Amino acid sequence: MTEISAVLDPYTQAANRLKTLSKVMTTKAAIAQTPKQLVWTLNKAKLYRYTPVVPKEKRHPIPLLLVFALMNRPYILDLRPGHSFVEFMVQQGYDLYLLDWGAPGPEDKNLKFDDYTLDYMPRAIRKLKAIAGSQEFSLLGWCIGAILTTIYAALRGNDGLRNLILLTAPLDFSNKQGLTFAKWTEERYFDVDKVLSAFGNMPGEMIDYGAKALKPVENYVGNYLKLWDNLDDPRVVEAWHAMNTWVTDNVPLAGGAFRQLIVDLYRNDKLMRGELVIRNARVEVSNIRANLLTVIAEGDHITPACQSEPIMAKVSSKDKELLRVAGGHIGIMAGSGAAKLTWPHINHWLAARSDAQ
Amino acid sequence: MAEETKNRAQSFDPMEPLRGVRDAYMDVWAKSMVDMVNSEAYAQATGTMLDTYLTVSAPFREAVEKAMLKTLEQLAMPSRADITSLAERMTHIELRLDDLDAKLDEFQKNASKAPPPSAAPRTVSTAKKAAGPKQAKRGRK
Repeated sequence: MTEISAVLDPYTQAANRLKTLSKVMTTKAAIAQTPKQLVWTLNKAKLYRYTPVVPKEKRHPIPLLLVFALMNRPYILDLRPGHSFVEFMVQQGYDLYLLDWGAPGPEDKNLKFDDYTLDYMPRAIRKLKAIAGSQEFSLLGWCIGAILTTIYAALRGNDGLRNLILLTAPLDFSNKQGLTFAKWTEERYFDVDKVLSAFGNMPGEMIDYGAKALKPVENYVGNYLKLWDNLDDPRVVEAWHAMNTWVTDNVPLAGGAFRQLIVDLYRNDKLMRGELVIRNARVEVSNIRANLLTVIAEGDHITPACQSEPIMAKVSSKDKELLRVAGGHIGIMAGSGAAKLTWPHINHWLAARSDAQ
Repeated sequence: MAEETKNRAQSFDPMEPLRGVRDAYMDVWAKSMVDMVNSEAYAQATGTMLDTYLTVSAPFREAVEKAMLKTLEQLAMPSRADITSLAERMTHIELRLDDLDAKLDEFQKNASKAPPPSAAPRTVSTAKKAAGPKQAKRGRK
């Protein structure tokens, strides 16, 4: 009898593995669980304030605003309890805010960087300052969010921005050979106007395809093999489930912003050349005087180091630091090593610059 | 005997001997695919495919849009353009509301900064007014 059960064990195991696989592939993980309040909205954008867990007298007086990319959900910053940058920073005593851009609808197809940086961000920041009772604040921008925060910092340098943190920031587009996206979106191969006249906004699925196609084998095969190999390990399965929930939850990119990204940045590198014009104002990164921390992911295939490094020499900040972290575009903030490497360094750097002067 | 059978059964994994080979193959495949997607030929091929799709689907898309517009008109229902324009107007209203909110915040901030009425420093003219007729009489004495 015992022998029969021993022989049957592998089949039971296989059944359990299939059950786990089915659950992971067909359900969404519980994500973004750090308590927060909605404090401001405009169109699809929402500003959240995370409920502080540290008494006010022990909190840093300078609030921190997180700005993520336009075409992904920002809850990658608050993926799951125990593995959340947001949760970590709240525990470190920051008055933390998150700007969620939401998903643009057909009526938002003309939204541009101009609108995001000069309508949405200043209004959200005004509200943040009113709630926090502080005239100064810190900004953390990640990926396209780093482009927006850079433009904001260059145009609104006197708005009380004390600290600027740029994570995997695609700012310099001069090295065309090193940028696969730049090749794909060259004018002779990619008709941006034709695409946008058909879709209005750039569909999330197409952006997702573009990001995954940079490393097709890893993303379309290796990722699932990793899950298959670790189906018996609940920790790996839980992490994979949460990440897959985020990866498959794409949002479109507003047509106007997509056109600027391709034409002004990928094709003409206008930001670093000082030629980018936002509502009749030229964006000069040399106007940035805030304390600057730039974080580069050494294994980043979406935003290689050559895109983030050059800004260090162009800004006027006296206090600036470049941090290189082993990992990928997302992994440096949401991977298994993030809690040991990236988060503590950001906290250490920011804490020293977030007290009343 | 039973324990041995169990262990043997548990340790049996048909993929195990092949896993190393598989991973090595995957590495080679991944590198060659990265080279491929980085090539001009791939950029040209995907560009051509997308362009062809957009060109071929455009007449169908237009036909569907026209038909849908007529159907919605017949049913006296709003079209996408109507709803889009309404949403744009709502965003404009939200912007105006946000401006008002900013002014209200500013007003509240100034109001909280101002000292309470009892502690407010009085100018001569207002002090006289506040003192009323009694003080005025005393002054005349």
